[in-house]
Amino acid sequence: MKLNLNWLKGYAVLYLVFLYAPIFLLPIFAFNDATVIAFPLKGFTTRWFADLTTTPALHGAVLNSLFIAISTAILSTCLGICAARAGARFSFPGKQGIIGFIMIPLVLPEIIVAVSLLVTLLQLGLSLSSWTVILGHTLICTPFSIAILNSAFATLDPSMEEAAYDLGETKWSTFRLITLPLVMPGIISSFLIAFTISLDEFIIAFFLTGAEPTLPVYLWGQLRFPAKLPIVMALGTILVAFSILLLTLAEIFRRRGIAKAGGRDTGGFL
Amino acid sequence: MGIRLDKEARAGLTLIAPPFIFAILLLAVPLTAILMLSFFSQSYLTLDTTLTLDNYRTALTEPLYRLLMLRSLAISGCVTLATVILAFPIAYFVSFHVAPSKKSLWIFLITIPFWTSYLIRVFLWKVILGYNGVLNSSLQGLGIIDEPLTFILYNANAVVITLAHAFAPFAILPIFVALERIDRPLLEASRDLGEGTVGTFLRVTLPLAMPGVVAAALIVFIPTIGDYVTPQLVGGPSGLMIANWIQTLFLGQNNAPMGATTAVLAMLIVGVIALVFVFLNRRFLRVRR
Amino acid sequence: MTDAIVSLTDVHKYYGTYHALRGITLDIRAGEFFSLLGPSGCGKTTLLRTIAGFEDVSSGTLLLDGKDMARVAANKRPTNMVFQSYAIFPHLSVAENVGFGLRRSSMDSAAKARAVDEALEMVGLKGYGTRAAHALSGGQRQRVALARALILKPKVLLLDEPLSALDKKLREQMQNELRRLQRQVGITFILVTHDQEEALIMSDRIAVMFEGEIAQLASPQDLYRRPLTRRVGEFIGVMNVLPATVSGQEADIAGLGRAPVTPDQAPSGMPEGTAGAGIRPESMSILYDGETTTRRTASGEVVEVFYYGDMTYYDVVLPGTTKPMTISMKNVAGRPVLDRGTTARIAWDAEALVLFGDT
Ligand SMILES: Nc1ncnc2c1ncn2[C@@H]1O[C@H](COP(=O)(O)OP(=O)(O)OP(=O)(O)O)[C@@H](O)[C@H]1O
Ligand SMILES: [Mg+2]
Repeated sequence: MKLNLNWLKGYAVLYLVFLYAPIFLLPIFAFNDATVIAFPLKGFTTRWFADLTTTPALHGAVLNSLFIAISTAILSTCLGICAARAGARFSFPGKQGIIGFIMIPLVLPEIIVAVSLLVTLLQLGLSLSSWTVILGHTLICTPFSIAILNSAFATLDPSMEEAAYDLGETKWSTFRLITLPLVMPGIISSFLIAFTISLDEFIIAFFLTGAEPTLPVYLWGQLRFPAKLPIVMALGTILVAFSILLLTLAEIFRRRGIAKAGGRDTGGFL
Repeated sequence: MGIRLDKEARAGLTLIAPPFIFAILLLAVPLTAILMLSFFSQSYLTLDTTLTLDNYRTALTEPLYRLLMLRSLAISGCVTLATVILAFPIAYFVSFHVAPSKKSLWIFLITIPFWTSYLIRVFLWKVILGYNGVLNSSLQGLGIIDEPLTFILYNANAVVITLAHAFAPFAILPIFVALERIDRPLLEASRDLGEGTVGTFLRVTLPLAMPGVVAAALIVFIPTIGDYVTPQLVGGPSGLMIANWIQTLFLGQNNAPMGATTAVLAMLIVGVIALVFVFLNRRFLRVRR
Repeated sequence: MTDAIVSLTDVHKYYGTYHALRGITLDIRAGEFFSLLGPSGCGKTTLLRTIAGFEDVSSGTLLLDGKDMARVAANKRPTNMVFQSYAIFPHLSVAENVGFGLRRSSMDSAAKARAVDEALEMVGLKGYGTRAAHALSGGQRQRVALARALILKPKVLLLDEPLSALDKKLREQMQNELRRLQRQVGITFILVTHDQEEALIMSDRIAVMFEGEIAQLASPQDLYRRPLTRRVGEFIGVMNVLPATVSGQEADIAGLGRAPVTPDQAPSGMPEGTAGAGIRPESMSILYDGETTTRRTASGEVVEVFYYGDMTYYDVVLPGTTKPMTISMKNVAGRPVLDRGTTARIAWDAEALVLFGDT
C-alpha cells in the first residue's frame, strides 16, 4: 500500500513535468540572445520583448482577437443562459432533441465547422470579417457555456425564485435579485471559458477571418519565418504569464464565492 | 391544428428559441450546404451543380483517401489510448490520495498548461523534438546518443506525442469527476467482504469509473481526429491527417466539392465512433443504476 | 360561508393527462389553523401551490378574501409561503432576507428596519439580523422563513411541510411555537403535512386528502373519533377494523360478539348487512388475572408484544378472525407485561365502535 502510494506520487510528479516541459522552455528561449531556437543558450537579452512593442501588425491582431473573444464570450454566455435555464426550469416538447442539437458542435471536428461555415458564407455572398469569426466561435463555445451554466441552473432551488415572486417581486426583478446573483459564478466561468476558447482557436479563425487576422492566425504566419521565432517565444511568455495570472485570480474568486455561499470546496475548475 | 401548448411549454420554447435558431442558421444550414456541395463537382474555376456521386467514388477508390482516413483513425486512436492510460493514475492519485483541501490545487496545476496558446505549445514540441532540438541536444550532451534521433519529428510519432500532451487535461478531468463520485463506503464494503486492494480496484473502482473513462476517450478522440495544427507543424508528410487534406482541397487545390465530400466522410466516421462511445456509456451507466 | 378567507369550488388540476386535483370544494375560515393531511403524492402541495398562485387551476374557482384569483399572479396575492426547503436566499443576510418583501413598500428605511427587527423578535431571532443566512441551523432557517413571510402581514400563510426537515425534538418545539405564533398574529395558516400527529396537535380543522380528493374535513377530535371511511380511520392513528353484520340497531362483530349501535356511530350512514366495525387500540384494554369489569369482554391470543416504555402495544388474534388487532395499554406500576402466546381477556365498549359501509 505504502509502496503503491510512493509510485503513484512519483508518477504524478513526472506527469506534471511532462505537462509543464514545453511551457518552461518558453521564457528560456524568450530571454535567449540567439535567433535559433536551440541549445546551447547564448546569453540574456530582453530585445525580443522590445521588438514586440514595435510590431504594429501584432498589436492589431491582439486587439482583433480580444474583440472577437469578448464578443464571443458575451454571445455564447447569453445563448447559454437561455438554453440552460430552459433546460433546467421548463419542460416542453422536443426538449431533449433541441438541446442535443445545440450541443452538436461539441462532437464535431472544428475543421468541419470551419469549412461548412465558409461554404455557406461565400454562397450567401457575405464577406469574411471579424464578425464571421465571432459567429463561428459562438457556435462552438455555446455548448461549453451551456454545459457550465446547466450545473449552475440545475443546482438552483426553484423555490428560491418562487419565494421572491411570492414576496411580491416581478418575474424580471426576481431574475435580477435572486437568479442572477446565485448563478453568477457559473456565468463568470462560462464567460472565461468561452473567452479563452475563442482567444486560442485557430482553424475556424483561419478559414473565416477577413483582412484582419486574429492572434493565432498571425502567429501561424510568423511560425514560417525562423527569424521571427524568438519574438513568438517572447509573446508566448507574456501570454502564459497573463493566463496564469487570470486563472489564479479566477481561482481566488471561486474560492471566495464558495466560502461566501457557505459551501465546501470540492475542487474542480470546469 | 397542433396540440395546444401549456404556459410552461410556451415559456420553455420561447427561451430555447434564440440558441436553437442560432444553431439552425449556423449549424444545420452549413452542414446541409456542405452535404449538397459534396454531390457537385468542380471543373477548374466553375462549379458544376449537376448531382453526381463521382466525388464519393473517388474518395472510396483512391488509395490516398483510405490512407489518410486510416492514418487519422490510427493516430487519434493511439492518442486516445495513450492519453487515457496515462491520465487514469493521475486522476486516481488526486481523487484518492490527495487531501480534499489540496485537490483543487492539483486540478488547477493540471489545467494551467492547457490554458496557454495551443499553437505555441505545439510549436514548442517541435523545438523539443527537432533534429537539434532540446531532447536531442540534451541526450547528446549527456553522451547517451551520438547521432540525433530522427524518428521523433516530422512523422506520426511526433503527432501522437504532441496531441497526447495537448489533450491530457481533457482526459484527466472526466475520470477525476467519475472517481470523485464513487461513494467511499462502497470501497470499504468491498474490503469488508474480503477483497484486497487490487480486487477492490478491479471489481468496484474501475467499473464505477468507466463512464468517466468512456467520456474521456470521446472527449479526446473527436477533436484529435480532426486536428489540423499538430500534423501540419510536427507531422511532416508522413504524419498528415484528414483535416490537412480537407484544408488543401478547399484552399490549396480549389476543389471545394471534393473537400466537402471528404468532410462528410470524416463526419460520418466521427459520428459512428461517437455513437459507439455513447452506446458504451449507456451500458456502463445502466450498470450504475 | 361568509367568513371564508379561502374558498375553492370544484377545483380541478391536470398535469398533462395526470389528474392531480379532482374537484376540491373547500372553505377555510379567517384566522383558523387549517391543515392539509394526506399520504405522499395525494396532491397536498399541488393544492397549496394552487392557492399561492404557482399553479393555474384547470377548472373551478378560487376566491381569496372574496376575490376571484383566476387572473391574479402569485406576487399579487395576499398570501405568503414558507417553503419546505425554506428557500433562504444564501447571498443575503438574515435581515435582508426578512426584509426582502418590503423592497417595494412605501415605508422609509427606518420603518423597514424596525419592521425587520420586530419580525425577528417575534420568531425569537432578535439580534441575528447581520448574520449570513447560509450560516444558520435548520431551526433558525425555519424561523427566518416564517419572519420573512409574516412581515408582509398576508391574509393567509401557506406552509408546505415546514417541519419535516427538523429532528424530532426540534420539530415538537416548533409545533408549539407555530401554534403560539398563529394565535398571536391571528393570520390564517394553511399547513401541509403528511404527519397525522402534527396535524392533530396543531390544527383547528383538518382536511384529509387521498388521490386529489378531500376524503374528510373535520376538527381533530371528530376526525379521530368519527372517521367517515375506513381509509380515513386507518390513516389517522391506528384503527382495528373487524368484519361485522349490522341489522337495525345491532351489530354482530367477528370475535367480539353482538353489541348495540347508534346512527351517531356510523358517520357515513348506517350500513345494513355486512359492514366494518372499527375500534381504536386505546378503547380496549387487557384485563390482568382476577380483574373484574362491568365492560363487555372477549378473549384472544397475544401474538406480538411491542414495549414502548410508557405504553405496551399487543397484537391479539380474536377467535374467528385472522388479522391481529392492536391494543394499547399504559404501563402502570404493578401491572405485568404479558408474554407472547398467552391468552388475554379483553374489555371493550360498544360506544367506542365506528361503523363503515365497506369491510
Ligand atoms: N409539475 C408536475 N408535473 C407533473 N406531475 C406533477 C407535477 N407536480 C406534481 N405532480 C404529480 O401530482 C401528484 C401530486 O403531487 P403533490 O406534490 O401535490 O403531492 P403531495 O401530496 O405534496 O406529496 P408529498 O407528500 O410527497 O409532497 C403526484 O403524483 C405528482 O407526481
Ligand atoms: Mg408535497
